[in-house]
Amino acid sequence: MKATSEEVKTSVKKLFEDGSIGHFIGYEMGSDSLRVTPCFLKSGQAASRLVWNPLCANNLSKYLLDFGKVEGKVGIMVKGCDSRSVVELLKEHQIDRDKVFIVGVPCSGIVDREKLLAVLGVSPGEVVAVEDDGDAFLVTIKEGTRRVKKEQVLRGECLVCRYPTPVIYDMLIGEAVSSLPWVGDDYSSVKELEALSSEEKERYWSSELSRCIRCYACRNICPVCTCVECIFDKKAPRWLSKASDVSENLVYHLVRAFHVAGRCVDCGECERACPMHIPLRSLNKKVEKDILELFGYTAGIDVEQQPPLTTYQAGDLDEFL
Amino acid sequence: MKLPDTKEVQTEFKPKILAFCCNWCAYAGADLAGVSRFQMPTNVRVIRVMCSGRVPPELVIRALANGLDGVMILGCHPGECHYSEGNYLTRRRAHVLKRLLSYIGIEPDRFQLRWVSAAEGAKFSAVVKEAADKITALGPNRWGDKR
Amino acid sequence: MVNQTKSRIIEKNRLTELLDELAQGYHLIAPVRDNDVSFRRVESGSEVTLDYINTVLSPKNAFFPQTETLFRFSRGDSQGFRTEPGTEADREQVIFGIRPCDARSLRLMDMVFNGQYKDSYYLKKREKTTLIGLACFNPDKTCFCPTFGIDPTSGEDVDILFSDIGDRYLVEASTEKGATLLDRFAKFLSELRGDEEQLRKARKAGLVGMKKLDVSAIADKIAPLYEGDYWNSIGMKCLGCGICTYLCPTCHCFDIADVNLDEGGERFRCWDSCMFPEFTLMASGENPRPNRKARVQQRFFHKLKYFHDRNAELACVGCGRCIRYCPVNIDIARIIEDVISGKAGNE
Repeated sequence: MKATSEEVKTSVKKLFEDGSIGHFIGYEMGSDSLRVTPCFLKSGQAASRLVWNPLCANNLSKYLLDFGKVEGKVGIMVKGCDSRSVVELLKEHQIDRDKVFIVGVPCSGIVDREKLLAVLGVSPGEVVAVEDDGDAFLVTIKEGTRRVKKEQVLRGECLVCRYPTPVIYDMLIGEAVSSLPWVGDDYSSVKELEALSSEEKERYWSSELSRCIRCYACRNICPVCTCVECIFDKKAPRWLSKASDVSENLVYHLVRAFHVAGRCVDCGECERACPMHIPLRSLNKKVEKDILELFGYTAGIDVEQQPPLTTYQAGDLDEFL
Repeated sequence: MKLPDTKEVQTEFKPKILAFCCNWCAYAGADLAGVSRFQMPTNVRVIRVMCSGRVPPELVIRALANGLDGVMILGCHPGECHYSEGNYLTRRRAHVLKRLLSYIGIEPDRFQLRWVSAAEGAKFSAVVKEAADKITALGPNRWGDKR
Repeated sequence: MVNQTKSRIIEKNRLTELLDELAQGYHLIAPVRDNDVSFRRVESGSEVTLDYINTVLSPKNAFFPQTETLFRFSRGDSQGFRTEPGTEADREQVIFGIRPCDARSLRLMDMVFNGQYKDSYYLKKREKTTLIGLACFNPDKTCFCPTFGIDPTSGEDVDILFSDIGDRYLVEASTEKGATLLDRFAKFLSELRGDEEQLRKARKAGLVGMKKLDVSAIADKIAPLYEGDYWNSIGMKCLGCGICTYLCPTCHCFDIADVNLDEGGERFRCWDSCMFPEFTLMASGENPRPNRKARVQQRFFHKLKYFHDRNAELACVGCGRCIRYCPVNIDIARIIEDVISGKAGNE
């Protein structure tokens, strides 16, 4: 059975009651029926606000960093991808395993709000609810219920998700999902870009990066961007000019992609946050693909595994011209 | 942060190339190449670092975005790092970085990692010359003039 | 009110021609669709899209660019440094398709840039710009401009207003500047057929149910909440990114920096955001707004109180951009509701 909001509410309430947790980070409904928002609970009474549905895109794991000094355990709701970033946070000793209580929910894909509205041809106000129904979503709109194939409206990262069930948890709500039927080649879009000439790639990325407004949403939302002082905020030396132009944007995005190399779990939050719709996952996916090919490493699976760029083997691929 | 115009009268394209040289090997190798009077391209600027592992990808990316036409990292041969493993870590990083750079349209030849020991003056001169030739053939870095 | 004698119509199929000609005489900025719809310089009418609720970025870029060179300096001869003006946009520009909410935001920006201190960079562009508005009959769910006394179908803050009334646009000039421009392009316009007002009224049905909050006493109501716990709950969610401030048509904070090179350099200004920790970071390392709660609180106090104290207006036009694009769904309309209802004080 799939996890439901009701199950989440009762389970979390129980966790508060038996003293397993002192705080909980979950989702509640937001401004409209197509938006959820993070929700922070201090007691079981408020658990009735919690929801779980195919709109719960936010990766809540970064909020764990704010709970380092609180009393008691912090409960958190994680999907498959979110659990992988929790693994990364544990691996880098950003959080203490004994201080978190991980409530896992197997996930069969999250709705891309904009894709959904486009497919249905309706405005946001007209959608009443979205429910998971196997290979489709059941979308209730004013005129009735429509069934929309998942492949048409899933978020990009969900289309290539190989870990729908959390890889680490203290409690799992709902039945584990082993694989998602639509997942094929994880890197087909990366390969398409790779095949272009240098000139074409440069043109593509100049145009994409020229839109960047340097709001830093992609960095701030990233669950593995955990530096206390980010290199881009340093005043001396100044790595990045405050002027926003294509060259500076290039430095920002390449360094960002490199800093999460071998750590990015493709939760897709950077791309979701970007108001300018820059294909940020593309850069991360490229690095992920190379690290897999070069070092056989996938991030966010095993807390004990050594991060690929902090180790080496004498037999690694050698110097290059 | 555009690089200053050096007011050189440029008739043909002469690339600007940055070479980060490890203090313990390549930098000494460059010295030896100089003392031995090997021919070397004049458009390679050398920056001495204490280890090739000291060169973070940020520096390479910054240099290329600032308009350098090519960047080289020259370090000790594997197994010979003064700090045991700096060059091994550089090697892993460099492979990932090179592929990422190529993904956004910076030709692979513009970023090079080479091993040159303190005794290899001739190799230093050869790799630098080879790099300069390849980068000259590529022409100016298209990301270098974007502001 | 709009002078009826100046009202005209333009047939929909003639709009592209009009824009073509506008683009020849002026620096024309209009909504263009690539990934999203954004205001961009266009050279022909065919590039323009009119199928949008509003653009992601507000048109403030045309007056107050994200990055603007103020002047350049270089090492001169014995006289010392030489300076020359920056990329001054000394040209007549027309913004086509600005929504009434964004047009109102310029009135608020004027209070900042044309107040006690005159900002010549902003004002020069402002003076040389003619605003052609596009009435909004199909607002987004996040829109709440009526809250601030804005009629999304009115031409109050623009020079000319276009209203899509089906097969044609109703074209009304509300300023002298607008009337002059219309006269220049009179050949594209034709006389009213008589049913225009009726058609406009019918289209206004789409505005029914738009959120309108009573903000008459908000500045007084928010004041006692300074110490409250309410902002903690908002600050906790906040990512500290600059989406809300950068997309906001009324946010106007900037930073000024120099680029210094051997031979010279430039001074530029660029948008800055109160949501960034560095915004208030002092050289000593002290930060008077040390956490996300303090920064979020500042943002809402500035919009709903400080700006009001100074200019007797609220620094929000209800365009809904910050609500639409906030990745964690911090909702200014909901915050205003909480402040009005007293819910914010009880938390």
